[in-house]
Amino acid sequence: MSSVASQVPFKRTLRAPLKRALREAGAFMFLLPHFALFVLFVVYPLGYGLFISFHRWTLLDPPRYVAWGNFVRIWGDARFWDAVMNTVVFAAISVPITVALGLLLALLLNQQLHGRLWLMVAFVSPVFFSSIGILLSWNWVLASFPAGLVNFYLMQAGLLTLPVSWFGTPASAWFWIIVITVWWIVGFGTLLFLGALQKIPPEQYESAMIDGAGAWARFQHITLPWIRNVLIFETVRQVILAFGLFDQVFILTGGGPGGATRTMVLYMYQMGFDRQQLGLAAAISWYIFIVIILFGLIQLAFIARSVRSAED
Amino acid sequence: MNKKEARKWLFSIIAWGAAVVWFSPILWMLSTSLKPTLVATTERVPRWLPDPLTFANYQAIISPAVGAGLLQAFINSVLVAVASVLLLLLVATPAAYALSRLHFFGRNFIFWSYVVVLAFPGAIFLIPHFLIIKDIGLMNNLWALVLPGLGATFGVFLLRQYMLGIPRELEDAAWVDGCSRLRFLIFIVVPLIRPALGVLALMTFLGSWTSFLWPLLVLSTPDNFTMPLGLVRFTAGWGDPFRGIGPTMAGAFIAVLPTLIIFVLGHRYLMRGISLGAIGK
Repeated sequence: MSSVASQVPFKRTLRAPLKRALREAGAFMFLLPHFALFVLFVVYPLGYGLFISFHRWTLLDPPRYVAWGNFVRIWGDARFWDAVMNTVVFAAISVPITVALGLLLALLLNQQLHGRLWLMVAFVSPVFFSSIGILLSWNWVLASFPAGLVNFYLMQAGLLTLPVSWFGTPASAWFWIIVITVWWIVGFGTLLFLGALQKIPPEQYESAMIDGAGAWARFQHITLPWIRNVLIFETVRQVILAFGLFDQVFILTGGGPGGATRTMVLYMYQMGFDRQQLGLAAAISWYIFIVIILFGLIQLAFIARSVRSAED
Repeated sequence: MNKKEARKWLFSIIAWGAAVVWFSPILWMLSTSLKPTLVATTERVPRWLPDPLTFANYQAIISPAVGAGLLQAFINSVLVAVASVLLLLLVATPAAYALSRLHFFGRNFIFWSYVVVLAFPGAIFLIPHFLIIKDIGLMNNLWALVLPGLGATFGVFLLRQYMLGIPRELEDAAWVDGCSRLRFLIFIVVPLIRPALGVLALMTFLGSWTSFLWPLLVLSTPDNFTMPLGLVRFTAGWGDPFRGIGPTMAGAFIAVLPTLIIFVLGHRYLMRGISLGAIGK
């Protein structure tokens, strides 16, 4: 091929770039359908969202430019800071529990067990269930009148004398939101950890046992280093997820009592769609972005590494 | 019985005990759905095995009179999920092929843009998506649930990761045989990445099936509702949330059942897909 080309240098210099451009254009055609959708539903919305956040934007009046007005108003909004606080506390409590319990369940399911598939179904499958389906069920389990399961068994055990309305006080509302959230989403981490645990070569444990290492030592020196990356990845993912908390509070408490369970995304929803202040809601969304950007960057570092590992 | 076997039984018993307690909210949902509402709300001691057992709640939610469109909501959910899966696979597969195997100007820049947006929170897209859907006239239209998700980059990313594992030599051999890029993609790449396509199909289906906030924003009339919205409306329709608890639990169980079946059949795929997205190989 190259010898033929060197015999006709003139033709080659003219045609080659054109051919190459055509080839590249042809290659781009494979990407184009998705790329067009990417531009319309990812790139454009980012710019649009920024644009909206600098305007007083309701669905009735034409948008009016207010510069940093929306950001300033949200910054001075006590309700917003309450929502930030609620979300941060929720994340700080629920994420460690979710990750630790997910790991514990993965360690359990990694043992030799009878009927492992059905155990996985019980512990893991809820994460794939519709939030509304499971929330309606939990709402029924926690019912105060007629007494739901939790109230019934607690009264049976003599811990309660009267049925409790669990979503009536901030503390018990948060307690159950956290329990239900952990119950719902723990399975994702379990599945992730189980995949990582199954990659650990069994010989490592065997030789450690011969050396007389106890269960805790084996966990610390073999299991933990092997799954460390997945553990960090899942923690970061859970933090980002926790900052998106919406369905649970929307269905179970509606943000109450007295705004005690209002989260950032719920506040954004209420601002944008109950009060129709889309500009303010967009400003809230950028605050959410700022709060979790650090975790987003850690996540990016992980993704970049997984890209490299696949490219090698 | 040797020591190993005894250990296995011990762990199994502990695990099964915990599993039954863990899964009890779903079991209670199923149990309640098989009782007449009056029995469910008045029994003094919770009965896990319904007696009398009735399928009337399931008949009720299917009937137009009581069901209030829940059957239609189920159909809508299926339509949206299936359309989302098929269209995403259709656009993401060639895109992943282009980003992993083909060369063109700006490829790396586009690929890394795809990666960067993976880390953006969904919240920042909500308001602009809402206004875009409004601008293009798709409010209260089921397409509004399908289209925005097609621009997401996770699927392309996942498929690309998998395609990088296809040996180069295969491509060279196909070139020698004069195979076009499109034919190569359809007849050689697609069969090889079937597991990844399966994973992506499952994850997309599950995501679409359980989506709540976005449908809540863009759908307004019950005939267009998906299952989660239909259920919320159905529950609210009884005034007192527990007056219709029998049919409500039947509806909730119907909403959960397809994903339960998918999990039982596809848990291996799901595990692989989750690992692939997180840690590459």
